[in-house]
Amino acid sequence: MRVLFTGGSACGKSSYAERMASALPGPRYYLATMVGSNDEEFLRRIERHHAMRRDRGFDSIERPRSVSGIDLADDSCVLLECLCNLAANEMFDEDNRLDNGAFQRILDDIKVLEEKCAHLLVVTNDVGSGSALGYSDSTCAYVELLGSLNAALAERFDVVYELVCGIPLRVKGAPWEAEPQ
Amino acid sequence: MILVIGGAASGKRDYVRGLGYEESQFATGAIDNRPVVDRLQEIVAADKDAAEGLLEVLCAKEVVICDEVGSGVIPAERHEREVREATGRLCNQLAGHAEKVVRLVAGIPVVIKGGA
Repeated sequence: MRVLFTGGSACGKSSYAERMASALPGPRYYLATMVGSNDEEFLRRIERHHAMRRDRGFDSIERPRSVSGIDLADDSCVLLECLCNLAANEMFDEDNRLDNGAFQRILDDIKVLEEKCAHLLVVTNDVGSGSALGYSDSTCAYVELLGSLNAALAERFDVVYELVCGIPLRVKGAPWEAEPQ
Repeated sequence: MILVIGGAASGKRDYVRGLGYEESQFATGAIDNRPVVDRLQEIVAADKDAAEGLLEVLCAKEVVICDEVGSGVIPAERHEREVREATGRLCNQLAGHAEKVVRLVAGIPVVIKGGA
């Protein structure tokens, strides 16, 4: 099963996705896409995510780019968190120029991941709502990239949820057994 | 408690007026003895660290209205990010306790918890 979770910041996406992953069988991998940093805000966020998946049997894999290149057991469940960081990490090339190939490359990488595991759960962010006025060209390019990725994955995936105030709204797909109550 | 959420100018206050509340019953950006708390996001922004402590008093209100502030581009400014986080986390908790959660979309109330 392939599942996408979207919503704004602090809407409860991560927590809901982790609860769902915990209800699924198989080895569980937490695929973290954030680039490491010693920034205090970053460390606090990481610690929060660590705390949330402690004792839930997740193996963590840090992979800020090229997510297709990981080895997984066929019956595994992968929680990719999150597409927003992955897109930001992939959108510029080594010379810090906008990389127009990022959209297709990310979609292809995720396709490979889908084929490598039994369940793929992807957390993203709704950066396209709210005003897009007054942002730099690169921010606008990012909003465009992430919005397009969200739409492309939603079309391909089996189930899509929007989280609102911690409440899951299933916007695509039928209820299924791993849906937390 | 009914939690009413939605974007800016999405029709939240009109919806609450439609429930029978008078203008004088709205406490805007404040928590006092009135039954409706409006613009919760402003209360959180004024003191984000106090947000969690507001849960109990807000749950005792009849209606709490808050903008959905978490969508859109993540702010570059740290304080703004933290206010968004604090508002979102508080709304998650409020929604957990609310009998009903209503989201306004272009003026249309969509009940996302607690039936019709």
